[in-house]
Amino acid sequence: MAEGNRASTTETDANRVGTESSEWVMQSLEEGQLSSARAKHYPRRQLKRSETLLFWGLRIYLLFMLGVVVYQVWTRTQ
Amino acid sequence: MAKPVTEAQTASPERSSLTGVPAPTVTHEDVDRARDRNRVSLARTQKGSLANLRLLWLLVGPGILVMLGENDGPSMLSYAATGARYGIGFFIPFIILTFLMALVVQEMTVRLGAVTHRGHAELIFDRFGPFWGRFSMIDLMIGNFLTLITEFIAIRAGLGFFGIPAWAAVLSTLVVLYVALMTHRYWTWERITLAAAMCNLIFVPAALLAHPKWGSIGHALVYWSPLPGGVNKDMILILLADIGATVTPWMLFFQQSATADKGLTARDIRFGLTDTFLGALLAATAAVATVIATAPLFLHHVSAANLEAGQFAEALEPFIGHWGAALFALGIFEAGMVACITISTSSAYAFGEVSRTPHSLNLPMSQGKAFYAVLLLEAAAASGLVLIPGLPLVSVVLVVNVIAVLAMPPALIFLYMLVNDREIMGDLTSPRWANALATIVVLLLVAAGILYGVSVIAPNLFARVGGN
Repeated sequence: MAEGNRASTTETDANRVGTESSEWVMQSLEEGQLSSARAKHYPRRQLKRSETLLFWGLRIYLLFMLGVVVYQVWTRTQ
Repeated sequence: MAKPVTEAQTASPERSSLTGVPAPTVTHEDVDRARDRNRVSLARTQKGSLANLRLLWLLVGPGILVMLGENDGPSMLSYAATGARYGIGFFIPFIILTFLMALVVQEMTVRLGAVTHRGHAELIFDRFGPFWGRFSMIDLMIGNFLTLITEFIAIRAGLGFFGIPAWAAVLSTLVVLYVALMTHRYWTWERITLAAAMCNLIFVPAALLAHPKWGSIGHALVYWSPLPGGVNKDMILILLADIGATVTPWMLFFQQSATADKGLTARDIRFGLTDTFLGALLAATAAVATVIATAPLFLHHVSAANLEAGQFAEALEPFIGHWGAALFALGIFEAGMVACITISTSSAYAFGEVSRTPHSLNLPMSQGKAFYAVLLLEAAAASGLVLIPGLPLVSVVLVVNVIAVLAMPPALIFLYMLVNDREIMGDLTSPRWANALATIVVLLLVAAGILYGVSVIAPNLFARVGGN
């Protein structure tokens, strides 16, 4: 597509492009690929008890292991 | 695929002449992405092997970038330390295994990005809520910032070999980063960064100059040996550093966001996998080459325990010559520079996704101020820190890789659950074989982390089981 098809911006809405370009862009992209689609949110997933426990377990694992790293750095500097 | 959308679609005043319904707002970012997609559509209409190659050329990028980007400063220094301390043996097949692990994991991010067109941070916040999302972001941001510091350590050391002062090395990288961004076009940024990333293979001629014994390499690949010194605390640290050199949280965030920004769709997943495989192949080649290049230090009993990045090149000079050492130093610089670009971009993507501000490399500066500011300020802050004299650089490098491994299991669980989430993936959830492999990867990473913990807390235990 020629550079000229990139519509000029306006003072009121610098982010929006012209109608002609809009139609061409919407034919080229899937709906979810448009930047405006980012305003949409996927709904929150209901976590099962086992999933929550897994998340917490891994979080505690990470915090504990970071403590081990700090301990190793401390012992090496001593 | 389900459309679990909860907010009203943003609409512009214009109405589509085709449907008569309000048309969504279209931005310049969309126009740029549409141009890229049109080229892909055009290539798909053509037949023949040349057309297939052109299609591949158009669709590769995020996979090669993420793999070669992860062959970063600390990674190459980990491989260098591996070669210098253990020579050609156990670690050569082990490094190849780590890239297979990375391939399994990164394939999932391609699938997620291509199907949902969303970044990783955005999906975590949406599906698991801000509580777990913030944990994930804290892990990413701390990890990225620490890693960026190590990238500038590598940049400083690499160019230091040529007598370039630290401030000039750091400044030149920031200029390259800025120039790549100022194209305001994902495609151009990707091609510039790809060209730079391919220079990672500079370690291959450096390895050839070490005149390796090909029989030893073949033996190592088949028998996973020798492992001088056996299993001990130092070996476990190198083991974890080498895993951390291949699989890290920023890779998940970067490749999924880049896949969405590039505009890949479900139809492109196969090419995304090829892209990631090519990246893994190139990166594994460079990684193994680095081990081979530094193996002469092991063979000649040169102590590498306290070698800084630039000193590796100097120490190698008697064995691989001045040109070999120069190539090695240049490779360390390149590794740091490319990773500096990709890692700071992953931070900026994640920040934009979570703060709901525009986040795309197709954005003009005026529309992506927050995105570009995060990207440049993070890199600038990290670069400033490495100019502080007396920083324990080698320790920082190894610790950063270890932290990356430890942070991976929580990150992988989010990825695993998202890519198997039928509400967002529809029928394109991850296949069973990929889920089985991903589960093995998570278990291996947790086991490696626990092994590391035991080696630190109870180092004598390894002596009792046959190590040193």
